[in-house]
Amino acid sequence: MLSRFKNIPTHMDYKGQKLAEQIFQGIILISAVIGFIYGLIIQQFGWTVYIVLGGFAVSCVLTLPPWPMYRKNPLPWQPVVPESSGESPPKPQETIKKKKHK
Amino acid sequence: MNTVLSRANSLFAFSLSVMAALTFGCFITTAFKDRRVPVDIHVSKVMLKNVDDFTGPRERSDLGFITFDISADLQPIFDWNVKQLFLYLSAEYATKSNSLNQVVLWDKIVLRGESTKLNLRNMKSKYFFFDDGNGLRANKNITLMLSWNVVPNAGILPLVAGSGHISLPFPETYETTKSY
Repeated sequence: MLSRFKNIPTHMDYKGQKLAEQIFQGIILISAVIGFIYGLIIQQFGWTVYIVLGGFAVSCVLTLPPWPMYRKNPLPWQPVVPESSGESPPKPQETIKKKKHK
Repeated sequence: MNTVLSRANSLFAFSLSVMAALTFGCFITTAFKDRRVPVDIHVSKVMLKNVDDFTGPRERSDLGFITFDISADLQPIFDWNVKQLFLYLSAEYATKSNSLNQVVLWDKIVLRGESTKLNLRNMKSKYFFFDDGNGLRANKNITLMLSWNVVPNAGILPLVAGSGHISLPFPETYETTKSY
């Protein structure tokens, strides 16, 4: 039961993180430009704020959860070194964890 | 950017920065606008009394009563950076003791979305037009003007004097009949 939850991938790879950042910046900037122009035309600053908040909500949905589209470029890890000495197997495991939390 | 929380943090911070920039843009687009509009003030009745002023020097002071009409179209003032207008009618005059006296007689708040056509007839002043002495009697030049504070969404709080003021002389004698 617990292992099934642990098997759900929750990480983003590096290119995925960059993509997520570019997506939310683009969405918010576009909604800001649209909202500014619309608010300037109808002379209601409230609508500018609403449109930016809408862009914020859309980018939250798109970039906050680790969707599979952000996991398309996995790092090419070295294959696991076959056990030759006693201490070698845990080491690759640690490097994986460190890389993930960078 | 590798966890949900760090992404939420940068997303929120970026949105706030963009919103601040937009608010500044809203201020810039309206900062250099001329917010004066023509105002038509007409005074139909002036009454002058000499009454005990219990707030001041415990002497009899001049108290004026003015009945006035105001008409103005405030529509050009409103834009996307105006939340409300605070209108006030003030009287300016000079006396022997002070070269400039200013008394606010009446005020009104016009919210955004309310009717912007001001057409008021036979208005009485809201506040007492008390002089601090006897400077109102036979004063030949008492100027009534309408001014307003523009309350914005962002930016400065301009104080604008409406173009169109009238000067009127006050009567030489005090009203003694109790006609209120």
